[in-house]
Amino acid sequence: MSQSAKRVRSHAKRSESFKSWLIMLPGLVLMTFFVWEPLFESIRMSLYKTRNVELVRFIGLDNFVSVVGKDDFMQALLNTFSYTFWSLLLGFALPVILAMLIGETRRGKGFFRTAVYLPNMLPGLAVIILWSAFFSGEKSGVFNIILMRLGIPAQTYLTHADWVIPIIILIATWKGAGATALIYMAGMAGVSPELYEAAAIDGATVWHRIIHILLPSIRKLAGTLLILQIISVFQIMYEPMVLTKGGPDNASLSLMQLMWQYAFGGSMNYGKASAVAVIVTLILLVMTAIYSYFNRKESDWD
Amino acid sequence: MKNIQRTGVIRDYDMHSTSVKIGYGFILFLCGLMVVLAVFPLIWVVLAGFKDLKEFVSSTSIFPKSFDLNAYAVTWSQLGIAKNYLNSLIFVVGSVVCALIFNGLLGYGIGILKPKGHKVVKRLVMLSLLMPTTISIVPLFMNIQKLGLGNSFVPLWLSYGANAMYVILFVQFFESLPSSIVEASRIDGCSQLQTFFHIVLPLSKPICTVIAIFAVNAAWSDFLLPYLVLRGGTLQTVMVRLFVFSTEQTVNADTMMRSVVFSMIPPIILFFIFQKQLTENAVSVGIKG
Amino acid sequence: MNKLVKSLSLLLSLCLLLSAVPAVFAESDEVVDANLTCTLTLGNWPPDTAAQAEKDLFEGYKATMAKQYPNVTLVPDYYSYSLSNYVPMAKGGTAPSIFQPPFTDPQLLISQHLVGDVTDALKQFGVLDKFSPSYVEMLADENGRIYGLPRDGYVLGMHLNLDLFRQAGLVDDEGLPIYPKTLQEMAEYGKIIKEKTGKAGLVFPASETYGGWLFTNIAWNFGCVGESALEYQDEDGRWVCNFTSPECVAAMEFMRDLRWKYDILNVDATTTDWASAHTLLGTGEAAMNFAADDSVDQPTSNKGLPVEDFALIPFPAGDAGRYALAGGTCYMFAPNITADQGIALMAYLKVIGKLPFLDDQIIAGMRADYAAKRDRGAPVLPAISAWTDEEYNAAKQAIIDEYCNVDMRLYNDFFDSINEGTITLKSEEPVFAQQLYRELTAVIQRMITREGADVNKALRQAEESFQEYLDDEINDI
Repeated sequence: MSQSAKRVRSHAKRSESFKSWLIMLPGLVLMTFFVWEPLFESIRMSLYKTRNVELVRFIGLDNFVSVVGKDDFMQALLNTFSYTFWSLLLGFALPVILAMLIGETRRGKGFFRTAVYLPNMLPGLAVIILWSAFFSGEKSGVFNIILMRLGIPAQTYLTHADWVIPIIILIATWKGAGATALIYMAGMAGVSPELYEAAAIDGATVWHRIIHILLPSIRKLAGTLLILQIISVFQIMYEPMVLTKGGPDNASLSLMQLMWQYAFGGSMNYGKASAVAVIVTLILLVMTAIYSYFNRKESDWD
Repeated sequence: MKNIQRTGVIRDYDMHSTSVKIGYGFILFLCGLMVVLAVFPLIWVVLAGFKDLKEFVSSTSIFPKSFDLNAYAVTWSQLGIAKNYLNSLIFVVGSVVCALIFNGLLGYGIGILKPKGHKVVKRLVMLSLLMPTTISIVPLFMNIQKLGLGNSFVPLWLSYGANAMYVILFVQFFESLPSSIVEASRIDGCSQLQTFFHIVLPLSKPICTVIAIFAVNAAWSDFLLPYLVLRGGTLQTVMVRLFVFSTEQTVNADTMMRSVVFSMIPPIILFFIFQKQLTENAVSVGIKG
Repeated sequence: MNKLVKSLSLLLSLCLLLSAVPAVFAESDEVVDANLTCTLTLGNWPPDTAAQAEKDLFEGYKATMAKQYPNVTLVPDYYSYSLSNYVPMAKGGTAPSIFQPPFTDPQLLISQHLVGDVTDALKQFGVLDKFSPSYVEMLADENGRIYGLPRDGYVLGMHLNLDLFRQAGLVDDEGLPIYPKTLQEMAEYGKIIKEKTGKAGLVFPASETYGGWLFTNIAWNFGCVGESALEYQDEDGRWVCNFTSPECVAAMEFMRDLRWKYDILNVDATTTDWASAHTLLGTGEAAMNFAADDSVDQPTSNKGLPVEDFALIPFPAGDAGRYALAGGTCYMFAPNITADQGIALMAYLKVIGKLPFLDDQIIAGMRADYAAKRDRGAPVLPAISAWTDEEYNAAKQAIIDEYCNVDMRLYNDFFDSINEGTITLKSEEPVFAQQLYRELTAVIQRMITREGADVNKALRQAEESFQEYLDDEINDI
């Protein structure tokens, strides 16, 4: 290849590359405006003493120290881990079980799939408001109506500090489990029926087939969904905001809700709100890093 | 041959065993129970909407005293839900268009064009997937105000053009396309943009459908940024209205339940129209994501 | 505060003397100032979805302004205030010229320079000296500059569901309720009601910040004022909070007893908010609710309680005090308003009847308002005035009397206690009230959800937490 041909090609390549960037530009501008710049701004604000939206002066990590030193932060942090724990307990295994159950049905599979997916389409806010009537402690609360029919006295639900987080997770699971189950079903469908057939002929019981063929087939998928679930439950905010307002006695206060309180709850302390936000982000980053470390061989992302 | 086609751990052959038969019966029972659990709250809220306030607060019956549709009609007209529906529709349509075009083009750049340095963008996008969007809502809202875009749909529409997850879904799909097709069109003299619109997009119907469905669902349910941006104005969407009701306590509990029903009707209708795409395509995309 | 009480008592006594509206009020259609040229954006304009009558009313205001001030342009804005959306707008220069925050926020907004000064404009209208002193405290800065006007005010008292009182036998020979005069009586009567009817004696909205808000009033009546105030400024100007005074501990123990000793609270107190408290009282699920005179239409016309089954009584007294919390909603203005805009804004407030002037249109508006209230079954009650203009106050009261639809014997004690000064009006705790309420609400929630919870410990923790908050937010500047 001659020098000039090379030059022409590299020139073409450069202009090609320029045009490619031009095509990506609108998307990049939007990402910058809606995601990156505000995130950068949050980090910056977290390092400043703020008076409403103004940066008064640089104070280093003082916001972080002050925020972390408070009882409500520790409570919110513990609660957020508790949300995660319950979410894994209730919300992680359930979709797998649902998927297995529906996968085994021989008739009406489409109907079952449709029915369990339905709650996922509903607006989250509407779902929370709807369920608040189920957990009302009055005699008109839906669960109390059912209990009293069964001869059990009416109970209160959201006044129990130990119950509120599982209840909120239960509601979130009701909404999300069906959709997740369908993802697992798709994963399980990847197993060739011949494999089960062959195992069956070899005398493997149904139980063995589940343990040795079915579950391993969704291992990687489960890992991915697990980390996504943790990321999303860590950001839980409006559910407790609407259902319990963080109560009783801060028992359901989440980190993101604490952030919202700092920003919009009457004190307008955006510096501290940002500090909480940055802490949440850091925790998520660390968790993701740990996940990708253990998962590095399987990850096809760089 | 039929038993080979059938998926599932339990094979026809197992069905001869009594214990497996009992087990299968139990599975069917559990599936039925699931359906009841998934659907009952929806039926309940529709029933609750027929109750008046006193009945809603005091009655110990699931069923309302009367099925007078007037209760719904009054709420519909009193709260002007029609106007909110229209606002939601405008918001949703604009959001879907933005979600497809802007995320699609960015995904096309990262997944197919791959100009020098695209990896940095890819990493940034991946990283943004981890960032709680609510975190930066304060500075974002300030920026929107500074540009004088408050009380308008424009920033809300555009916010759907900057969704890391959609970008990644596009990238994954584009990367799975055979590169020969794209190259062929380039040799035919198509510009990059032409290739996108004439070759890539037509091939991307499945992913576009899925992202459109995701965006419809997300935009319909969205309320935090819309609440801040649309303020108390005439552009309020159904969900913003519902959020305002729940925080400002301006409507009674029975009216609230009817509003919940109204907020659920459009997604449910959409769900039944697109249930096949949803339960199959959306899921198969989800599996890759 | 005393001045307000005096002015109110004067107001009521004058009402008895006057029955006709004096003819000192101006015509509303004359041009007042054709030279004043500016543009105002008006927050809280009724949106398309509002009732037609309300929209017509505001269009009427707009037309009147156009006649009186032909060169002032009014731009309707549907903005409804919340702290979260206001601040960035004020900073971005897009705040509407006028908007309506609750009385909890003005001091915060003033201290952060997020609102406009209208002192000179008020002076120009000759009403600066008629401004009620208790409102000056809430709406002015330390130099006495005024940044807001009251839209309406309220005094906290107690709503009763008389149906439940009757069922519990708590009525006298005339059928009037035997109601609790003290907090102690409240607990005892509540117990009787719960035993006789099975319904909650008291609904206590202990969610988010409401619980703490109501609790401050209870704490005042236990003596948390002056030396033992929940928050005060020491001689160095440092804000200090004090939740561990014996008075505050006693008040919190009382809250705990309401749940565990007397058991008179509604079951879901920790998630009950303001609206659901009214719902429970209005639908007969609870007999008593701490609530104010401005929300009497909530249990009645909104939630369906007939006015004859409803009464409003003074806030029950404690051993150490007889206070009632007073507050309301006010008008405030964008931080960047010009002098001309300030005058135009006052002109607008005059047109909508918020300055102490009456004209035909305002009187017609008041009549329409009271007639509508009466029609939908809400009590039409005397109003608490923000102005010390006697003639104005008396004229207003005369109109209210015409539309009165209730047995005033069910309300007299409430209004008399204010007029006669047997109850002392007190505005909210001065700084960062919302955060104070939040801290106290958490303590209340612990008290009513955990039997045998440690009052001292909980209050000490809340105190430490709120003190840190004060140090960060205000003592540090």
